[in-house]
Amino acid sequence: MQALRAPRGVFDVAYSHGLRKMRPCALTRRARLPTVPEEFFIHELPNGLTLLGQKMPNVSSAAMTLLVPAGASRDATGAEGAAAIVSEWCLRGAGERDTRALNDALDTLGCRHSENVQSAHVHFGSAQLGRNLEAALALYADIIRRPRLEDATFDPCRELTRQDIVSLEDEPAQKCHVLLREKFYPYPLGRCIYGSEQSLARITAAQAREHVGRFFAPSGGIIAVAGNIDWETFRRLAESYFGDWQAPPPHPVATRKPEGGSTHVKKESAQVHIAMAQKSVPFGDERYYAARLAESILSGGMSSRLFTEVREKRGLVYHVSTHYSSLKGLAGMFTYAGTRPEVAQKTFDVIVRELLRLSEGVQPDELARSRTQLKSALVMQGQSTAARAGAIAGDWYHLRRLRSLAEICAAIEKVTGEDVLAYLKAFPPRDFTTLVIGPEPINTGGANE
Amino acid sequence: MDFRHTQLENGLTIITEVNGEAASLAAGFFVRTGSRDETPAVSGVSHFLEHMVFKGTDRRSAFDVSREFDNLGAEYNAMTSYENTIYYASVLPEFQPQALDILCDMMRPALRNADFDVEKNVILEEIALYEDQPKFRTYDNLMSAFFAGHPLGNRILGTNSSVKALTTEDMRSYFDGRYCPGNMTVVGVGKIDYSAFVDKVGAMCGRWTPGAASRQTACPPTATAKRVICDKKLIQQHIGLMSPAPSCQDADRYAAHLAATIIGDSTGSRLFYALVDPAIADDASTVHDPLDGAGGFLTFISAEKQRADDALRIALAEFKKFMDSGPTDLELQAAKNKIASGATLQGELPMGRLGAVGLDWVYRREYLPLAEEIETILAVTKDQVADLVRKYDLTAVATVALGPREQL
Repeated sequence: MQALRAPRGVFDVAYSHGLRKMRPCALTRRARLPTVPEEFFIHELPNGLTLLGQKMPNVSSAAMTLLVPAGASRDATGAEGAAAIVSEWCLRGAGERDTRALNDALDTLGCRHSENVQSAHVHFGSAQLGRNLEAALALYADIIRRPRLEDATFDPCRELTRQDIVSLEDEPAQKCHVLLREKFYPYPLGRCIYGSEQSLARITAAQAREHVGRFFAPSGGIIAVAGNIDWETFRRLAESYFGDWQAPPPHPVATRKPEGGSTHVKKESAQVHIAMAQKSVPFGDERYYAARLAESILSGGMSSRLFTEVREKRGLVYHVSTHYSSLKGLAGMFTYAGTRPEVAQKTFDVIVRELLRLSEGVQPDELARSRTQLKSALVMQGQSTAARAGAIAGDWYHLRRLRSLAEICAAIEKVTGEDVLAYLKAFPPRDFTTLVIGPEPINTGGANE
Repeated sequence: MDFRHTQLENGLTIITEVNGEAASLAAGFFVRTGSRDETPAVSGVSHFLEHMVFKGTDRRSAFDVSREFDNLGAEYNAMTSYENTIYYASVLPEFQPQALDILCDMMRPALRNADFDVEKNVILEEIALYEDQPKFRTYDNLMSAFFAGHPLGNRILGTNSSVKALTTEDMRSYFDGRYCPGNMTVVGVGKIDYSAFVDKVGAMCGRWTPGAASRQTACPPTATAKRVICDKKLIQQHIGLMSPAPSCQDADRYAAHLAATIIGDSTGSRLFYALVDPAIADDASTVHDPLDGAGGFLTFISAEKQRADDALRIALAEFKKFMDSGPTDLELQAAKNKIASGATLQGELPMGRLGAVGLDWVYRREYLPLAEEIETILAVTKDQVADLVRKYDLTAVATVALGPREQL
């Protein structure tokens, strides 16, 4: 789930005294890129697992991203939510360690870890001091290859997943995104990762174990590390832990046509939550960077078109944004706004008008600004070991190669205004899938004429 | 790391932590003001003013501010809390002068009526946005229940009616009283050119009229009230607990941070094993929230309504158990390692360091290098943590229960 972007927010003091959610940042036309080339490492094991590394100077942490091709789109019919349960269950004891011993071991290494489920993968992430990386890897070898998956720990994991669904009711903005993805992507690729209350009521430990048995496989799996790493040591260890892992590659996921259309979910919420999606080009398409520039012109900074027209000039919203998101070979441009019921229709109309106006032309200064912002974000993110581990894993999954900073910057630089317009012509702002949560429906018909 | 600081003649303090190896820099204005510094008549003005600061100056329109920042590829934003308002921007090192030019200029905003009227609607939208976030509502109510009658219980956002009633004159008067050089600190972190930094801030802010602001920081009495807010539209029961804890100025704050981590970190903590692992609650966490002259341990629990009583009872029993027997060696070591990892990761980004460096100064006039802070945490003993939770009664909680239950 994409975190909502909240410019000028209230300081979330519950977690205070470290600035909240510092989004990685900033560069421009004249900005100097770092001159030291990135140190990338790629090692493909014969069983299909890929090891990736990026050695970063001047950091003491090392972050690890482990992608196992057992995501929510793999959930068997009737066992929807299996992947989500499994992502919890794997941490409830693995190898020689029970739940407590495993968690204590992770904590003792200072692992800041998280587990979540995506469409294609179960994602394990852990960031720690570089000197603890190898010990953390040993634990993850257990978690992925030897999870205990005991009957006694199954029910709580299923129950937590069920409460995740229930909790969505109290978070309409989140729910809006979940439902939109379900309608927008070909089923089951955008399916709610938690399954449904019905499927979770029925699902058994045996079914969840079968999910692990079939889809926890090396083929298509990725282990990426970035930061203060000793690649040779890491590679050798990873090979010793995962080299003998054998399992047949999972079959492709069968999909059916997306539902699309306009949906209103009635809810007495304080705001009307409006989300809309339209098709875009996938990561790796030659028009990819043009799409990202279009996204940035619409929603890149506080001078972007949506922020200026919807919030700054008209005061219709606190939050409005567009973001690009890509599954493998399949992508969308997602726009969200939260607004009070009395101005919901107006907000929707202004957004659609702005989306249409973009295809009428792009100003050179907007384009230059957006290029700068995209490149800046790269350099800023490049300082975070966790962001880099995630980025190289993503590159490999989508492209089967790693992109250097210089390559990305050159590609962004090359995009012209005509390229952006050609992209918008190929993907005109119409045929939206829309999802509205609020007391009353709004008329979304105008957007699809 | 090289720490340097200076003060302009008008009282404005400049502090920097220079890291020549960093790929970027972050700069910010830390204004020692927030909802606790408001009178009821102007509730919400600190936060509204924070928005208005982005609306331009005598030489920049609102759009100019955004456009110029975006031209630099800057990451910039602001935040308002109960006691601080922070404006920040992060840029590549070559844009230090331009970023400072905008930031310094912004701090003397035009506060135009037309902008004020439009932005008021944005604030009302923001209030509505948080209405749809039960955790935030719980927190908001918890602060006012715990700090009953003390300004720390003031709402950051204000209310619909207080915000609607605000005028530009109210805001101007609040601004004049709070945004004076003596009440502000300029902070720079990362790849900073120190002398150029000081020269630029001096040239931009040196003319500001001197002045200082005060704040009532006497440790406020806290309450153990229970506030049940029934909202049948909600599905889950959201519970907030708050008890006294060391302040930002108190040397015990490190032991308090460790205690909170052992009790309620998101992984491997006592509440995790007691509530989340058996799925009695889907969320349970405790943090130490150190404030200016006050502090609290804050616990948030979310559970289904029929399990809410159990969840609350178990959480309080865990607090009691911890007070009775203190941490184990293993728990303490794990908590230290988690905090050290977290601080290291955050400290590797200039944006992550900005908050720590700035707030250390704002609260204690002190600079603490990251390595030293980590050493201090690692040096805390088991007895210190055990003593701390004997001194601060974890069960003396103010309670807020928001959700479908009429009683709890």
